[in-house]
Amino acid sequence: MPNSKASDLVMIDRRVTLKWLMGAMAAGQLAACGDGAKGVTWAEMEAIKAKGYGTDPDFNNTAAPWPLTMTQAELVAASSLADIILPADGDYPAPSKLGVPAFINEWVSAPYPDQHRDRVLIINGLAWLDQESRARSGAIFASADTAAQKALLDEIAYRDRVKPGLEKPAEFFSRFRSLTLGAYYTTPAGWTEIGYVGNQPGTGDYPGPTPEAAAHIRAVIEGMGLKYTAP
Amino acid sequence: MTPDEPHDAVVVGSGAGGAMAAWVLTRAGASVLMLEAGRDYSPDESPMLNMAMDAPLRGVGTPDKRFGYYDATVDGGWDMPGEPYTMAEGSEFMWWRSRMLGGRTNHWARNSFRMGPYDFKPRTRDGLGVDWPVTYDDMAPWYDKTEKLVGVYGSNDGLENHPNSGPGVLHTPPKFRVWETFLKAGGDAINIPVVAARRAILTKQIDERSPCYWASACGRGCSIGAAFQTTTSLIPWAKATGKLTIATGAMVYEVMLDATGKATGVRYIDKATGSHKEAKGRVVVVAASTGETARILLNSKPNGRSEGLANSSGQVGRNLMDTVGSNISAYFPQLEGRPRYNEDGAMGLHAYIPFWDYKRIQNGEVDTPRGYHVEIGGSFGDPGMGVGSGLDGYGSSLRADVKRRYGSRIGFTQRGEMIPNANSYCSIDTETKDKFGIPVLKFNFAWSDHELKQVKHFQTSMKELIDKLGGTLVSEPDEPAKAISKGGEIIHEVGTCRMGSDARESVTNQFGKTWDVDNLYLTDGSVFASKAHKNPTITIMALAMRSADNIATRLRTGEL
Repeated sequence: MPNSKASDLVMIDRRVTLKWLMGAMAAGQLAACGDGAKGVTWAEMEAIKAKGYGTDPDFNNTAAPWPLTMTQAELVAASSLADIILPADGDYPAPSKLGVPAFINEWVSAPYPDQHRDRVLIINGLAWLDQESRARSGAIFASADTAAQKALLDEIAYRDRVKPGLEKPAEFFSRFRSLTLGAYYTTPAGWTEIGYVGNQPGTGDYPGPTPEAAAHIRAVIEGMGLKYTAP
Repeated sequence: MTPDEPHDAVVVGSGAGGAMAAWVLTRAGASVLMLEAGRDYSPDESPMLNMAMDAPLRGVGTPDKRFGYYDATVDGGWDMPGEPYTMAEGSEFMWWRSRMLGGRTNHWARNSFRMGPYDFKPRTRDGLGVDWPVTYDDMAPWYDKTEKLVGVYGSNDGLENHPNSGPGVLHTPPKFRVWETFLKAGGDAINIPVVAARRAILTKQIDERSPCYWASACGRGCSIGAAFQTTTSLIPWAKATGKLTIATGAMVYEVMLDATGKATGVRYIDKATGSHKEAKGRVVVVAASTGETARILLNSKPNGRSEGLANSSGQVGRNLMDTVGSNISAYFPQLEGRPRYNEDGAMGLHAYIPFWDYKRIQNGEVDTPRGYHVEIGGSFGDPGMGVGSGLDGYGSSLRADVKRRYGSRIGFTQRGEMIPNANSYCSIDTETKDKFGIPVLKFNFAWSDHELKQVKHFQTSMKELIDKLGGTLVSEPDEPAKAISKGGEIIHEVGTCRMGSDARESVTNQFGKTWDVDNLYLTDGSVFASKAHKNPTITIMALAMRSADNIATRLRTGEL
């Protein structure tokens, strides 16, 4: 599918993410911008005042008009976290290879109320992640070893076994996971993996289910003791 | 002609009602000036095949574009800068405006369910609300003409209060998709019908409009003309007669009368220059939307009459109704991991659940008097920002969960009838003006127990259907008072200038002619006497066609 904008985004993101990662690991930067030691308060943040795309946007120029606001350290943490949420698997690349951290930056930098709520959660959450990681293993999240990263995430990633006291980090993780999945599965690689094959204009009647899909649902319906009606 | 010259008819609004009136009148040889408050628009602007990933924020809705980045609505929404409305204390109402040529028809869902015999005579049936001054039999030929013109797919199932269309009227509906066939199997087992939906979408070529090509969300606007909107049909057809003049950016605020009480035209603000202008015609047709039409009449104060124009009945602004809305979603393990194929189809309903419980209502076995239908949504669509909802954990198991769950969730959306009540109306807020200096509307709105009980009926019935199919609720629905939509949220508001057979209790006669002003007609949703559960647009168009036919006859005979 021709899509210059999306592929540009992927290229830029891949190159820049690698650079950030190397730089940040060398410097041991924290997403908390150095105040992590004081603890993350999940404090409200000032609303972004940039202009949105307006009520009549130009569809020939669909780039988000607002400035991106995440720091390099935050992007490094976001990149690392996204790649643990959906690790590369065979043909399917890691989220950082598909522009997911850049998308999260676009999202939390947007001048709209829903995105502002996410920004407060995510920027504070990334700071918490680095602070907690450093307190436990001496390394920011992105440069901690895999076992240490997972040990930390296991305390916040499962809704029925959140470690008491970590409810806010768990809320952050849940929201970050949603954004990561949404961003990832709306890319061509995500479509291929999940099996989305739409957006293909055709002629003639809508073909309906393939014979395989029809046979499958027929078996399901009849297996439940219900009556199947061919579409 | 130019907007400054007198026309046979001045039509305010370019949506379903205004464009239909303009087309009928121009076709009958009348010169028509159409005034539209928004900008010129054509769905040629629509990025029909863009994906979510090409849009900011993957295209999700924002205050700038409530239905997402690609939605056809430009310069519209529930909240518009400089164009406020107010609400009485304790009332909540959301007033959607669509300031663009074609109005809301550019983005509507195209769901086109005819009203039936019960819907036109609700008071006769259960003693609530009022009857319409027309019967279903009066309207049936107009529905046929409208559906044939518009192009509606669907099937004739002969269901109670869901009338068949005439022979050859409907286009063949698209095949059910897997999840719709699945729902039908469950519905059949517990006597809840799942039948072909009716939508204003072509499945065969008519005139210059192409049939659906089975992709592209209809709400973006349809540049191939398959999904009906006035900007690809009625407006260009009316233009082609050479009889239509369109002025966009024309914000109408009052109707002018002469000394004999006849309408002479309207006053409007030319938004480009800020100047006040007059448009003159032998007949004035207002189809500015249910809220805006009432506002124009209430703000027109001929000879200092404080109640506004055409309001001797006191009914202008009253009887405000919207569709009853609520939602339930469920996951169906039986649909997990099913074989993939292209389920875009017509990008909306192929099937739906029409109301089925009329007999039990009549027998007094159900505690809610009026019905609803259920719009259903599932499919292997572009996964979108909601793909991760309900999932847990991380890592390769999460990848597997995303794949397993894809296409196994179905949403059930209630669309129900509201009965007019004394607590739901709009009036002029004399304290507040918009950026043009026009006094704004103030809304009062309240659901009654009838609607809340209807939500309960929906919840109970859908849970039974979900259960029959082994589904699990995404979450237990809220109590009806919390689950029900806000007034105006479903954007089906109607009723503020209802038609009737008695001038003391209604604003217009059966042809949308105001009782008080012989050459002033209303042809939008404001004239609805009741708000059946059926989406209003197809009925707005059928009524507008009938009313405009009446106007054309009277213009021809010199009566107007």
